[in-house]
Amino acid sequence: MDKVLGDRRAIALFVLPTLILFAAIIAVPILLSGYYSLLDWDGIGEGTFVGLQNYANLLFQNTDGFGKSVVNSIILLLLSVFVQLPIALALALILARGIKGEVLYRTVYFIPVIMSTVVIGQLWLKIYNADYGLLNAMLGSIGLDSWKSDWLGDTSKALLAAFVPILWQYTGYHMLLMYASAKSVSEEIYEAARIDGATGITSALKITIPLIKPMIEVCIIFAVIGSLKIFDLIYVLTRGGPLHATEVPSTLMYKSIFDQYQYGYGSSIAIFIIAECIIFTLILQRAFKSE
Amino acid sequence: MKGFSIKAISLTIIAGVMLSLAACGSSNSGSTPASPDSSAGSSDLKASTKKVTLKMWHQWASPNDGNTKALREVLDEWNRNNPDIQIVDDGIDGESYKTKIKTAIAANEAPDIFYAWGAGFAKPFVEANAVLPLDDYLKDGTSEKLLPGSLTNVTYDGKVYGLPTSLSVASLYINKEIFDQNNVKIPTTFSELLDAVKAFREKNITPIVVGQKDLWPGMYWYDILAIRTAGAQGALDALNNQASFDTQPFKDAAAKLQELVAAKAFNDSKFSTGYNEMVSDFTQGKAAMVYQGNWLGGSVEDDQSLVKGKVIAIPFPAVEGGKGTADEFFGGAIDALWVSANTKYKEEAAKAVKYLTEQMSNKLYESGAGLPSWQVSGVDESKISDLTKQTVEMLKSATHTVMWWDIFLEGKDADRHKNLVAQLFDGKMTPDEYAAQMQKINEAKK
Amino acid sequence: MRRNYISLKGGWDIKMIGLNIVLVIGMLTCLYPLIWLVLFSLKDNNEIFGGNIAGLPTQFLWENYKEALIQAKVGVYFTNSVFVTAITIAATCFLSLTSSYAIIRMRWKLSKVTLNLLLLGLMVPQHAALLPLFIILKKLSILDSYWALIIPYTLFAIPMGVFIFSGFMKGIPRELEEAACIDGCNIYQILFQIVLPLVAPALATIAIFTYLSSWNELMFAVTFINSSSLKTITVGIQTMVGQYSTSWGPIGAGLVVTTLPTILIYTFLSGQVQKSLIVGAVKG
Repeated sequence: MDKVLGDRRAIALFVLPTLILFAAIIAVPILLSGYYSLLDWDGIGEGTFVGLQNYANLLFQNTDGFGKSVVNSIILLLLSVFVQLPIALALALILARGIKGEVLYRTVYFIPVIMSTVVIGQLWLKIYNADYGLLNAMLGSIGLDSWKSDWLGDTSKALLAAFVPILWQYTGYHMLLMYASAKSVSEEIYEAARIDGATGITSALKITIPLIKPMIEVCIIFAVIGSLKIFDLIYVLTRGGPLHATEVPSTLMYKSIFDQYQYGYGSSIAIFIIAECIIFTLILQRAFKSE
Repeated sequence: MKGFSIKAISLTIIAGVMLSLAACGSSNSGSTPASPDSSAGSSDLKASTKKVTLKMWHQWASPNDGNTKALREVLDEWNRNNPDIQIVDDGIDGESYKTKIKTAIAANEAPDIFYAWGAGFAKPFVEANAVLPLDDYLKDGTSEKLLPGSLTNVTYDGKVYGLPTSLSVASLYINKEIFDQNNVKIPTTFSELLDAVKAFREKNITPIVVGQKDLWPGMYWYDILAIRTAGAQGALDALNNQASFDTQPFKDAAAKLQELVAAKAFNDSKFSTGYNEMVSDFTQGKAAMVYQGNWLGGSVEDDQSLVKGKVIAIPFPAVEGGKGTADEFFGGAIDALWVSANTKYKEEAAKAVKYLTEQMSNKLYESGAGLPSWQVSGVDESKISDLTKQTVEMLKSATHTVMWWDIFLEGKDADRHKNLVAQLFDGKMTPDEYAAQMQKINEAKK
Repeated sequence: MRRNYISLKGGWDIKMIGLNIVLVIGMLTCLYPLIWLVLFSLKDNNEIFGGNIAGLPTQFLWENYKEALIQAKVGVYFTNSVFVTAITIAATCFLSLTSSYAIIRMRWKLSKVTLNLLLLGLMVPQHAALLPLFIILKKLSILDSYWALIIPYTLFAIPMGVFIFSGFMKGIPRELEEAACIDGCNIYQILFQIVLPLVAPALATIAIFTYLSSWNELMFAVTFINSSSLKTITVGIQTMVGQYSTSWGPIGAGLVVTTLPTILIYTFLSGQVQKSLIVGAVKG
């Protein structure tokens, strides 16, 4: 047995193709970004080596709202882990334990994930529009005219307004992951639990959740990394505005690299995002292990 | 702590593995330098049979963009008339195009001919020697065919690098129907503009629509006000860092903008409105005025537009006490074609660029999608729309044009300027603070 | 299937009705984008921007579809997208399966490090990788070919594939492999005949997510491909967006055309998930 599982040739055959491609396509770009982040470079001509200057600007000068963007992404992270995931988990458990229309629900809840960001973005722009948006129209029709607002244009409301579509869109994503996992819990285990008197919510809490814990952890890590890297929907909805109210690190990075000709500075944001993701993942993995 | 230090060690190992992998990756790629040349070899082959294929990238792909129609016609003509120099083109829209061309130029993979905006946008390309200077190819009388000032934004250090396809200027677009129905006078001065705003607001009509989500439409408002208060020359001096932004005229312009904001001149949802929404609001008659570039004409005169034939273009009103006049315009020739410094067919590419830009200038003028940057030839004047005629008429008395500030200033400075104007719109920044912040952009350049 | 209902045998009490109402409302909010998109695809700009954003189009503009099909060159671009996506999914599934098996189940020193290294791929912001990647693809001389998309798409999808697979692989009892080993299976037989059926649900999940990321990808597709004959459908739709004027109806039509296969594939694949789960249960 040990011999079979320690077969070096097989291991090499299984892992090396992936690793070689990985090195070329992902590791080298990260390393190059790391190098670029030490340059004062417009992305086209010759760069000058400036050491850690870009990082110093990023962390201490902070004129372009970088600090705010990090705070914003952490808010999204918290909302994602503590609001979106519990909802996704609840849906996954309900659907996995069988309910009339399981297949229909499962398919439909995933539709927002399937739709391209352009569509989701345009739809929510229409929902939030101050003049003719559905949300304001609905508030008006139930007599809450004073609640009407320019949702994405008001600096105090834009952040939450921009996050709602993100949380809504990816709920189905996490639901599917947890659903697939919950489905693989064998029926005998539930049977045994039922004989012990556990049904419904009790069986979900005591049996299913512990059994699908590995997948829940996967979802938490995906949610955290996804929140820290979020770009698409924010860019479509607000471009990070108004006045940096919805800025996140990726939108700043994109603007630095492609709009402002500050490739070095933008790369330092990229490295920051990677570092941030690694740190959070390490902390989480440690937390999961110690439990 | 123990667990963490193990993590730290494994991280170091990851970094080590990455480095070694990266090294192997790059040596790998280093061992195949011959391969990119193989494609070059094949085009050499073509050269020997005297047939040249030029690659061209541009951002005119959308079927309802006037530029696309003009380009297609002109390219077809060229390919028909020059069987030995065929142009193969590839187009994609603005935002994606920017990413694509910048990446390709950075990686030294630019096509023979490409589209780019002039001034600050193409400046890094020129500085990196990625663009071919065209002066030698313009001596055949081409220079004389270009309209005065057309080359301002494609000239760097005295050398011409690109040729413009059209000229664009902004004007104040007035929905005459709304003005007439409400008996409001079409403004020729800033105070009349304010009166008009107040009159419309009283009747619950949105006076002006602006798409501040995209930042630049709002910036147009500040910039034209500053051109009026400081005068075109004053504005250019400050932009060129020969004068300070921290002076009264630039503060006045900021104050005027805030007067408009305070009078609720702009749409309530200005911060969440983008360019597209702004245009459709105006073409649906939801606002009385919009200040935009002449490309707006295409949307106004479109069959789907509800304001077709009801809109006139006027010069932006003069500001009382300002150094500028209503004959000074905001805009310039900025859409241009360039030849890559790496092209193997310099002669052919330059010839093609001359032909394409001149013919596009004619075609765009004829279709109303642009104003000419070349002397007009072979254009049926009767086809030209009223809106275009009004703009051309206005330009006849033009004394100055000042380029869009977000293109005049470079990347990060442009971004800074747009964000500062956004803060003026928000009302949280005073004109004094604004002027001081703008001057910081200049100081950083010294 | 019937046995799935065991825990809900209590029937239609108040709680169940409440639950169903919540589920149906949730379903409507998720279904709405699709309905909205179909309506959007039949309208003109005036209706899309404010005239009539939610209701039925006043006039059904079927020519939006005609325009989208011609402009977005749906025939060629669609085939390209299908080809690129199919190879990407196959490669991602295969490479994630083999590498996660080697990492999780096999015994070698650097397995943990390799896993962490691969997971790093989840954290890379793709926009920052654009220029380095362009340079690498140029050096490999595969720019402007299908490989310029397939390879990056696959590699950006593998980290998630490995991550999901490894969760499933950890749960497989050792005894299964041992028994197979005693029966004389070699390592390849163990992986493909014993382990693969057990992790099949993960396979479908990974396929769905890989499909989504490559089918909708735009930035790489725009930047790495220049030849019209190699372009993908998202690029085709993007060409309808103009600098100064865009007509959104045909874009909506293009989006419907690209979204429908996605929904069909998802419905099919998620049915597969169900099936493979039952297969797995029988074997387990």
